[in-house]
Amino acid sequence: MSDLLIKNAFVIDPINRINGEIMDIAVRDGRIVEDVGQGAEVIDAAGCLTLPGGIDSHTHICGTKVNFGRYMSPEDMRAGREARRGVKHSISGYSVPTTYANSYRYAIMGYTTLLEGAMAPLEARHTHEEFSATPLQDVMANTLFDGNWGVMEAIRDGDLERAAAIVGWTLSAVKGFGIKLTNPGGTEAWGYGKDVTCIRDKVPYFEVTPAEIIETMIRSCELLRLPHSVHLHCNNLGKPGNYACTIETLNLVPDLNEKRQTLYATHVQFHSYGGSDWKTFCSKAEPVADTVNNRPQIVIDMGQVMFGKTTTMTADGPMEFNLYRLHHDKWSNHDVELETGSGIIPVLYRRKNLVNSIMWAIGLELALLVKNPWQCMLTTDNPNGAPFVKYPEIIALLMSKKYRDAEFATVHPDTGSKVVLPALERELDWNEIAVMTRAGQAKALGITGIGKGHLGIGAEADIAVYPLKVDDIDPSTEYQRVIDGFAQTKWTVKRGRPVSRDGEILVHGENTTIWVDPKIRPERDISRNPRFVEMFNHWYSVRMSNYPVQDEYLKRNLRMETEAAI
Amino acid sequence: MRIILTMRPRKNPFIPVEAEGIVPSILMNGAEITVWEGNRERRLDEVFEVAVEGEAATVEEVEVVLRGDTSRLKRIGEYMDGGRITVEGDIGMHCGNFMKAGTIEVMGNAAGWFARELCGGTVVCRGDAGHYCASGYRGEKKGMTGGRVEVFGNTGDFAAEHLAGGEVVIHGNCGDMPGVEMHGGTLSIGGDCTRPCGNMTGGTCTVLGCAYGMIPTFQAKGETNGPDGKNISAFTGDIANRGKGSLLVRRYQYLK
Repeated sequence: MSDLLIKNAFVIDPINRINGEIMDIAVRDGRIVEDVGQGAEVIDAAGCLTLPGGIDSHTHICGTKVNFGRYMSPEDMRAGREARRGVKHSISGYSVPTTYANSYRYAIMGYTTLLEGAMAPLEARHTHEEFSATPLQDVMANTLFDGNWGVMEAIRDGDLERAAAIVGWTLSAVKGFGIKLTNPGGTEAWGYGKDVTCIRDKVPYFEVTPAEIIETMIRSCELLRLPHSVHLHCNNLGKPGNYACTIETLNLVPDLNEKRQTLYATHVQFHSYGGSDWKTFCSKAEPVADTVNNRPQIVIDMGQVMFGKTTTMTADGPMEFNLYRLHHDKWSNHDVELETGSGIIPVLYRRKNLVNSIMWAIGLELALLVKNPWQCMLTTDNPNGAPFVKYPEIIALLMSKKYRDAEFATVHPDTGSKVVLPALERELDWNEIAVMTRAGQAKALGITGIGKGHLGIGAEADIAVYPLKVDDIDPSTEYQRVIDGFAQTKWTVKRGRPVSRDGEILVHGENTTIWVDPKIRPERDISRNPRFVEMFNHWYSVRMSNYPVQDEYLKRNLRMETEAAI
Repeated sequence: MRIILTMRPRKNPFIPVEAEGIVPSILMNGAEITVWEGNRERRLDEVFEVAVEGEAATVEEVEVVLRGDTSRLKRIGEYMDGGRITVEGDIGMHCGNFMKAGTIEVMGNAAGWFARELCGGTVVCRGDAGHYCASGYRGEKKGMTGGRVEVFGNTGDFAAEHLAGGEVVIHGNCGDMPGVEMHGGTLSIGGDCTRPCGNMTGGTCTVLGCAYGMIPTFQAKGETNGPDGKNISAFTGDIANRGKGSLLVRRYQYLK
């Protein structure tokens, strides 16, 4: 029995509609309960802001791509070095730190659940191996289907059920969580030396369009009854004028699910660019945010850019190649056979650079212009926009107009004519921040049912106690206190056990890998389909029997079984 | 002020000693410094016999003398900002990392990463230096940015890699790829080397011996006067990377 009582906490729990009540939280065996007895360990959270554990619904912390970022940037490991101490492993790195560094830093910021944004199915083992070295957060991995040959062939044949069957089998084979589409069709087209300009161009050989891929995958997702919606990285990332394509894509999305959104559009900041080249580059956050406001079936994440050094990594290979031609710095591109690709380059976002300054403004604009905080998640697409350790600063920027103005005064002087940020008066409140960093993320991921993102009875006891006395602080002026408060919890509790206190890591924990296993009727089992097996054996360099990730790769794990409609 | 550190005989002389505290400005204050011998932290006087002569008002008046078997002594003079270090024998890896000012003189040989990422000051090696002499570090785009490095003997591979400023003079031969990724400063090689200055974008490199395996992406510009008055072949490059560095070689030989 492990009992814990958090006393006098100032609780904000948006899912249970609690907004600033002083209450006690009782925990027994990792779950929140009504009451615990006398013997419980007591944490005195007197008046401290207490939230459900943070959830990052889009980050890159594990897997081959992240690891290749580490290979490429040994200089990154010169930052953030700390020696081994107590239960803590030695750590190092800033934008692509070691797995332990990621886990500790997230824990210190109060984050308890992470979603690795893009896992190539063929390279899933590596992701799971790194998950096992991420001790303090529950993890899950979205699985890439953007250039999957089997899926694209099914789409060409107009066979939705077949596409869904492939997705379902792959997800349970590689222990993935949801569907990720990164520049759907684009990376594969690039593999043929071509490119797609928007969603109506055909992918060579397969003769399907990105729009068809997106629509089919959205419908497959619903057929499989996956907890999370399709997680889409739109086409044309980072190109001036791409907002039109983004809006066209968002307008495709039907409203198919009453519990959650039908599409999660990721790092929309990188997709809200106006202008026709880098000279006329400007913000088009307004039309994109309007589209989101009019379409409740869509949830976006910001993909906020913050100034400084970082490493960009994405399955969007052509985009990274274009970035390389811009910067002429280190560069890597990979092809993952039959499935997807990827690219990695280090980037320095500079205040003196007009384009970078506009990018910085667009992320904030999106968050402020999307009216419903449940539709906009706070992320940096770690580490693409900035390493996640910048989250407290982003929170403060969203809560304080004064801070935004102070920062705005330091960016490129021409930024003002290209963005609307200075005109936005909105200042988010504590509740909205709680939605954007945990409750909304849990709802978008469809994991509230397993007790994530809230503090109701029966919920997983993932709790973050911040040294912020909400009544004392005026976030619109005292933004530094907000930054400091969110940067380091007083206590982070994971599954009922305090894992960090005032920045000190207390335990070497064990995570839970959450994965989805759609239950498909045996006659639709694609792994017994002769045509699929033949394709697999003919083109893949691995045997089908060697493809699924063995159970040994998962230590503690939670299998979410869904009743698929096929 | 002279601080004489004589290495005590050690049971296992192959265990490296990391001594980033051996810097004149730290030692002159008499601060209790420790060094790491393998995985053990030791007081300075456990590893060295320490003798101090005279006094110093400023760091410029401090000379640190290292005696005994110092060939496994690493990171001395790291971030050094003045004064003088004299090594009477050989020195281990990473001597003079990030040094800003002052002088280091090594009478014997220096191991790898000698004067890495130097910003200022003078570093001299009377013997041979190892690989990555006066270079940058893994992944970093800028190497040495200022100061002067002089090696009287030979150096290993990747000498002056990523050189961005300052002066590097090597009187002997260099190994493979000296001045690779160089984009500023000057590099002079008295002897031979192989494949000099790949991917260079700026700066000047002079090879007074023979450049074996000369890189084909350097554009020949004819002959000019070398530093010794004799004719020398001039090249610009590395044009594969739009580079505008200048490479002067007395003799060269392309790979066949």
